[in-house]
Amino acid sequence: MTALLELSETRAGYGAGPDILHDVSLTIEAGKSYCIIGPNGAGKSTLLKLVCGILKPREGRVMVRGESVGGLRPDQLLARGVCYVPQERTVFPTMTVRENLSMGAYSVDDKDVVEQRLGRVLELFPILDERRSQIAGTLSGGEQQMVTLGRALMVDPSLMMIDEPSLGLAPTVADQIFDTIRRLGETDITVLLVEQNAQRGLESVDWGIVLDLGKKKFEGPAEGILDDPRIRELYLGAKVVSRESEG
Amino acid sequence: MNFVQVLVLGLLLGGVYSLMASGLTLLFGVMRVVNLAHAAFIIVAAYIAFYLFTLADVDPVLTIVVTMPVMFMLGVVMYLTLFPRLESSERYVEMTVLLTFGLALIVEGLLTFFFTGIFRSTRPEYATQSFFLWDIFIPKGQLVALGISLVLLIGLWAFLMFTKTGTAIRATMQNRTAAQLVGVNVRRISALSFGVGMALAGASGSLLSYLFPFFPSRHWQWVAILLSLIVLGGLGSLKGAVVGAVSLAVAAAFVTDIFGPTWSPVTFFLALFLVLMVRPQGLYGKVVRI
Repeated sequence: MTALLELSETRAGYGAGPDILHDVSLTIEAGKSYCIIGPNGAGKSTLLKLVCGILKPREGRVMVRGESVGGLRPDQLLARGVCYVPQERTVFPTMTVRENLSMGAYSVDDKDVVEQRLGRVLELFPILDERRSQIAGTLSGGEQQMVTLGRALMVDPSLMMIDEPSLGLAPTVADQIFDTIRRLGETDITVLLVEQNAQRGLESVDWGIVLDLGKKKFEGPAEGILDDPRIRELYLGAKVVSRESEG
Repeated sequence: MNFVQVLVLGLLLGGVYSLMASGLTLLFGVMRVVNLAHAAFIIVAAYIAFYLFTLADVDPVLTIVVTMPVMFMLGVVMYLTLFPRLESSERYVEMTVLLTFGLALIVEGLLTFFFTGIFRSTRPEYATQSFFLWDIFIPKGQLVALGISLVLLIGLWAFLMFTKTGTAIRATMQNRTAAQLVGVNVRRISALSFGVGMALAGASGSLLSYLFPFFPSRHWQWVAILLSLIVLGGLGSLKGAVVGAVSLAVAAAFVTDIFGPTWSPVTFFLALFLVLMVRPQGLYGKVVRI
């Protein structure tokens, strides 16, 4: 069976800057949910930006269902079911919640389909149903994050990449977001999560992938991956190196 | 002059100022580009109107059907040939300032070369006619210009609010990354917006041709005024452009009435200084933190 997403020896970076990802190879199977963990600067967000089309691979291949997609634009990847929820808040601030969600289905022309998906998203996020006529810029951080997740669901994605959804949220609000992500992972959507809070991130998915310095270190079932001795080495080892370079 | 009379004269001009400023602020909103050549292209359109009027006896207002599409096409082509290569630059903003400044110089040079530096203006009959409403003096030409400006601005508003492309433009103005992520082809939208902004410059040029005498280097004065209007309104806000344009047009009318026409431009620059000191984001602009 062809994998939903496959990266083989891919290199990528920003502008004229150095490579952030060095020969990353990994495979994402449909139906599972994944969390990428790793220290700061490991290239986690860069990986998501590469897959969604914001960045282009410098070398190597990015394949979606066996088709090479490196160099395609975000709207073209969206048409292939790949969507990305960035870590910075990206609601359309002066549009209402409802308009924001409808905007998610920008690429869909059939009005009935849009209405149907809107209903499903509002069912998933009852709080957004209450706030549907409110201007998105006036929502709380957690609600804005829900709008962004809901908007991404409007394209009916097969791969949903979510970058640091809990960033800047109060713990109880973050709990709700992680809960939603776990529920999404149980549907036929494949979730690829990037999370600084490794513990919480791994609790919401099936499979963990450890990234460091732009390379995949290892992967395994989410439950128990944090007990792996290599994890301690990675996080603590990285700290020692940085102290040495400071001194 | 009495208060109401000055107010009316200011409001009449406010419409045209709004039209000129709307194209500039639209471009900034969508692409974060301050098009310093905007007024130069208004002057180009004014020359098109001038020659259509002088050689073919076409009414300057009717020349809008020529200037708008011509400038639209020019805008799209210019965007696609000049801007995409700057996108990956780390100094995008500085680059676009240099680019549009260069464009303004080139346009001015070409206009001077071909059409000389003589003062021009079109003179349709209504440009010099006027009438009294009760005891208020109304210049007919300015009333016509206000009407046309209103029609075009309402058209622009409806386009942005009620069409799919317009919604995509608004989304791109509010959050470019998010627009890209929901599937908006932002390069296509940018090209289109550049075209629409230039079309508005085209229409403005047709109206300007009979309202204000012009010559090639006149655009510097205009772009300076337009910048003060959109800075007051808030860069990238169309509502702001209209509010800024109307309020400063009225303020300039009062300054002219009290201190004389020489002082009229001072209104705009004084307003620019005050806004930048007191509320740099303008009336409707958003605060950008870096």
